[in-house]
Amino acid sequence: MDNVILDVRNFNVTYVNKYKKVYAVKDANFSINRGDSLGIVGESGSGKSTMAMALLRLLPEKSTEISGSAYFLGKDLVKLSEEELKKLRWKELSVVFQKSMNSLSPVHRIRTQVEDIYRVHNPKATREEIAERFIHLLKLVNLSDRVYNLYPHELSGGMLQRVSIAISLINNPKLLIMDEATTALDVVTQGQILDEVVKMEKEMDMTRIMITHDMSVVATSCNKVAVMYAGEIMELGYVKDVLKKPMHPYTKGLMASFPSLKGKKEKLQSIGGFLPDLSKKYEGCIFAPRCSSAMDICQKKPPVIEMENGRTVRCHLYGGER
Amino acid sequence: MKRYLFKRLLTGLLTIVIAFVINFLIINLAPGDPIKTLMGKESDDPVLRAALEEKYGLNKPLHIQFFSYLKTAMRGDLGISIIYNRPVADMIAEKLPATILLVLTSGVLSLIIGTAMGIVAARKEGTFIDVLFSGFSYILNSMPSFWLGLMLIIIFSTVLNILPTYGMTDARASYTGMAYVLDVIKHMILPVGTLVLIEIPMYYRIAKSSVLQVTNEDYILTLRATGMSEKKIFNKYIFRNAILPTVTIFGISLAYLITGVSLIETVFAWPGTGRLVLTAINQRDYPTLIGIYLIMSVSIAVVMIVVDIVYAILDPRIRY
Repeated sequence: MDNVILDVRNFNVTYVNKYKKVYAVKDANFSINRGDSLGIVGESGSGKSTMAMALLRLLPEKSTEISGSAYFLGKDLVKLSEEELKKLRWKELSVVFQKSMNSLSPVHRIRTQVEDIYRVHNPKATREEIAERFIHLLKLVNLSDRVYNLYPHELSGGMLQRVSIAISLINNPKLLIMDEATTALDVVTQGQILDEVVKMEKEMDMTRIMITHDMSVVATSCNKVAVMYAGEIMELGYVKDVLKKPMHPYTKGLMASFPSLKGKKEKLQSIGGFLPDLSKKYEGCIFAPRCSSAMDICQKKPPVIEMENGRTVRCHLYGGER
Repeated sequence: MKRYLFKRLLTGLLTIVIAFVINFLIINLAPGDPIKTLMGKESDDPVLRAALEEKYGLNKPLHIQFFSYLKTAMRGDLGISIIYNRPVADMIAEKLPATILLVLTSGVLSLIIGTAMGIVAARKEGTFIDVLFSGFSYILNSMPSFWLGLMLIIIFSTVLNILPTYGMTDARASYTGMAYVLDVIKHMILPVGTLVLIEIPMYYRIAKSSVLQVTNEDYILTLRATGMSEKKIFNKYIFRNAILPTVTIFGISLAYLITGVSLIETVFAWPGTGRLVLTAINQRDYPTLIGIYLIMSVSIAVVMIVVDIVYAILDPRIRY
């Protein structure tokens, strides 16, 4: 168990306002080993980003309730004080956000922002030292060093994305969360960046959580995958198992809604119905109303069933009380 | 930057020319003319009218009038006021400094106070201070400036009797040096106060919404994720980004002040160009009116150019 870098147990995130509560993440359990990569997939509104933001403690405290535990390097991210958290931020735990086009201040040079970010943890670092370090990272993400002195608007979207990734790596973090980090890019650029990321990961001994709704991103760049629906992790396991032989009806549905390049041209299947209203509590399986294999027992909450090879499925189809 | 500057100066010049043409046409198209004022209400002698029109060149076709005005204006000669029979340039030069003093002081003060209030309200969004400031700004925003001026006169001059109601200096005393400056400041408090109160809501609204918007930008989230202190994030990143719209508003607001100050100058009997404009309009004093409008459009163009240059310095994305 020493090898586990992040261990999330009974993790719940609830958005609260005056009138209602929205249960955005419910009872999430997963852990990730050092050097591993985990993809979290699900449709829009399934709570993937909320989970990442909650782990990073970036959600507004006034309007969110977080419970459960998330042990990162032996410290519980949920209970850590803001001061202690600051020591971990970016140094051990960094993030690349969805819209990298906006992830840099438009009126400051990239150099200025990089210097400020690096000095959060190394207040005495000299300009030359930082420049040297960052230019090395720019090479890793395949950018020329002249980028360092430019303004964000002088770069293309793909370049900015690379800059964001380079910035996230500046302190050699143990864990990198990429929240839809490549979604805004075209497939060619996305492919390049994913290749680079996978390569860097090995060089830098880094663990990665990849949040995306794109199955192909997970397939090409992750080792494990967690499928989320309506705030719950439905299925978790190695990519090669889950994508080849999806077990949960939702995963099956999700797989059927992606086109395959090989084989016959088939009509894409969509899953009927809509996401449930997350401000209500549900007794049974949350997917049951949209599920084609729903049974009577699905009125009851399905247990998390452990299968071989570390795989878990939250579905009555695979056991539990019948 | 040089190219940008040159282009900006050129468009500024073009703006002045277009504004000038429009002003010239509108004034001449408006009903009534200065001859009527000169002749008096009772008299309607066609011979006198023809003689006066001849004297001021008003019997010539409009385009001839326009070009002859342009020719003399190029030499810095803005003509002779029909009503006062004095060079317009002299009259404006006499009144302009007082107006500039009033406009710049209230422009800068409202910029600082309004923006500061907006920033505070945005930082403490939803708290009592935010509600208080927003209510205050809302009330001020719906107040006519001249009425506010009159109310301030009633409160501070009539009831409390601590501030003078009119003029720029005390007519009964002849101060020099520091005493003169203090006297002017004392006279400035009410008119400047009125203008500042009227202008605050504009800066308040822009600053507040801008700070709120920038605070929710992705790059601020990224900076938070880096563990940077809130103070540094605000002082360096939020502030610099949020201040940009305020700069634009400052230009617009100064332009509005330069033209809109007339009412306040009338209320407080401030010896500026404002009153000159109002009397010139009433008496259809064409040369004075056109002269003042020309000066106004020049000053607005200059202000706008300065604002654009400042903006270009602050925001690297602006390089035309």
